[in-house]
Amino acid sequence: MGSDNVLQPNDIFTIHVFGADIPISDSIIMMWIIMALLIILSYIFTRNLKTVPEGKQNFTELIVDSINNIIKGNIGHHWRPFAPYFGTIFLFLVFANTASLFSVIPTGEQLYKITGMDFFEKLPEFALITPTKDLNVTAAMAIMTILLVVFSGIRYQGVLGWFKSFLKPSPVLLPFHILHYGTRAVSLSLRLFGNMLAGYIVVELLYEGTIFVKPIIPIASAFFDLVDALLQAYIFVFLSSVYISEAVE
Amino acid sequence: MPLGGLIAISACIAVFTGIGAGISLGIATSKVAEGISRNPESSGRIMSVALVFATLAEVTAIFGFVIAIMLVGKI
Repeated sequence: MGSDNVLQPNDIFTIHVFGADIPISDSIIMMWIIMALLIILSYIFTRNLKTVPEGKQNFTELIVDSINNIIKGNIGHHWRPFAPYFGTIFLFLVFANTASLFSVIPTGEQLYKITGMDFFEKLPEFALITPTKDLNVTAAMAIMTILLVVFSGIRYQGVLGWFKSFLKPSPVLLPFHILHYGTRAVSLSLRLFGNMLAGYIVVELLYEGTIFVKPIIPIASAFFDLVDALLQAYIFVFLSSVYISEAVE
Repeated sequence: MPLGGLIAISACIAVFTGIGAGISLGIATSKVAEGISRNPESSGRIMSVALVFATLAEVTAIFGFVIAIMLVGKI
């Protein structure tokens, strides 16, 4: 399982641009796949929109309405500019967290064992893993949210009002207000990363078990890859919108 | 090798943060059920507040888990 490199990105190949080497990890490739899937799906689902919805437009309106209701309930009357961002984050996290359900494509090593062809052995090891079990991905998402908190605070309170909000109850709390931005980013990223990695490790450990453990695998996999994954996507969006609502008030 | 064993034991101790998170989540969930059964019409508000504080309690266990992973990588 390689527990020594769980925190490190698993580099697949390197691209050379202007003399610089840019390593491409498997999480980045998974994120490209999810991005392409989301773009194609959003193009298909928003084609031929009608005033009276029918068919797939009903489904699209259900998703958009439920995301809008979550954001409206948390942020209040400034909810409109933030709804597209949170909708994107939510849909991306839903696809990213449940991606390991679709890891039915065999890896190069498995194909080599089945066919015995040398070509497959040379393929880099790549499987459809969840990109959110990489700490770098979740840290980037948490930094995006914290930057949005800072910019929306400046946008809705003014520069002076935003600096005054650091001294709000009393100036003694100034270091804690500054610390709060860092701890919120750390807890947001580590919560998503820890949950996803714990689910992955538990399911991988069950695969190593004896025949008596095997019947538990589908139940554990369904819990960690579906229930926990959807819950974590919801919690990330929910907590981010709570932080935004504190900033824009 | 003795140092590796000590690191493994310290990783086990780091995972013990899960006990605190488990107890606090149990208390919080029991109070949420109590509050909803006493006052069913405010269940949406109670659930949203409970979710925030449940995730705050849960993140302590996550911190312990991440520290254990980092320690295991040092062996």
